[in-house]
Amino acid sequence: MNPLLSFLLAFVATMAFAILFQAPRSTLPCSGFVGALGWVIFVLMSKNFEYSTPVANFCATVLLAAAGELSARIFKQPSTVYIIPGIIPLVPGLGMYQGMAKLIAKNYEAGMSSLLGALLDSIAIALGLMMVTSIFRIFKMRKKEGHL
Amino acid sequence: MLLGTLSREETMNLALVLGKVLLKSGAETNRVEETVIRFCRANGYADVNVFATPLLIILGDETTDGMTLICRIRYRSVNLSLISEINAFSFDLAKWDKNYEETKIWLEDKLKETPPFDRWQVILASAVGSAAFAGMLGGNSHDFAAAFFVGGLSMALLKILAGYRPSAFWENALAGTAIGALALLCCAFSIQCTMENIIVGALMPFLPGMAFTNGLRDYMAGDLISGNARISEALLFAISIAIGLTAVLLAWNRWGWDLWGMEVWK
Repeated sequence: MNPLLSFLLAFVATMAFAILFQAPRSTLPCSGFVGALGWVIFVLMSKNFEYSTPVANFCATVLLAAAGELSARIFKQPSTVYIIPGIIPLVPGLGMYQGMAKLIAKNYEAGMSSLLGALLDSIAIALGLMMVTSIFRIFKMRKKEGHL
Repeated sequence: MLLGTLSREETMNLALVLGKVLLKSGAETNRVEETVIRFCRANGYADVNVFATPLLIILGDETTDGMTLICRIRYRSVNLSLISEINAFSFDLAKWDKNYEETKIWLEDKLKETPPFDRWQVILASAVGSAAFAGMLGGNSHDFAAAFFVGGLSMALLKILAGYRPSAFWENALAGTAIGALALLCCAFSIQCTMENIIVGALMPFLPGMAFTNGLRDYMAGDLISGNARISEALLFAISIAIGLTAVLLAWNRWGWDLWGMEVWK
């Protein structure tokens, strides 16, 4: 798929999810950008360069979360406002649905492999998010100690 | 001027309301605890301790005859702008010029205030988000339109049902059922629709991304109880959506008719 088109679609989708989560109006464009960034990196890595999806998810989450934390510092907002809508496009809804549908059709092998793939994807997202959060936490603690 | 005028009781009262507002709008536990502690420290009461989980806040101090405040949280929603406002409040405490009574009323009003986007905007956002997601998965224009319709209508149904305060399990299961039924309807209308793209697109607004992300952040901050609670919440929601969706697909497979010769779960 055309990267520009997927960027635009992901931008719109993330803004829509930010509205669902009642994010402040002024932060909508920035959170849309954060989400679109993550999605474009995921699409480029998994489709164009043929990395496996957990690796692509991990890299996309790391960049997305870093962008979210940075914009939180720049615009003086809590980082939740940017990261929570931004991460939604990466959630492996497709894998979960496929796994479920195959399980209903009594195709247990394919179903479990889809579900396991979705699980691996979520673990990769979790790892990326945890890594960035803890790195930014270190910076925060350093700053606090400096003030004391 | 608020800082420096508060007694210990007043500080703890305000801190409890602060924590309540944050938890009710879906903040991570760590943010709640940090904000409460920062507020108490800024007022000069450094020995106040707080313990928060998604369901409960306990606030007390380290004296034998001190007071303890407990607040049980029953209903939580998601409201990021409220989190942002409270965040700004706790950082600009030095410039805050309301007194104790006014601040308390201000905070309690925040709980009753309607969120910035009303239900129609939320329904529209759900429709647009679903459609965009169906497009991102590689759906054609028919999928795009169908996901717009399904995502908007199922969110509207959920908003109507929310008035009856169903349990979270039933709420999500019904959303899953609605999505499945409406997607089947769309597929019956047009041969170019793919079940998969429509369903996954329309599912996205209902997936518990918030609980999942917050749970991970809680784990990272060392709040293991809250992390467990939120991750299991996310799991419960995902399973309940799946149950609703499965019920419809199974029923269609048994009693429905052949849709353009395609397998329903393809």
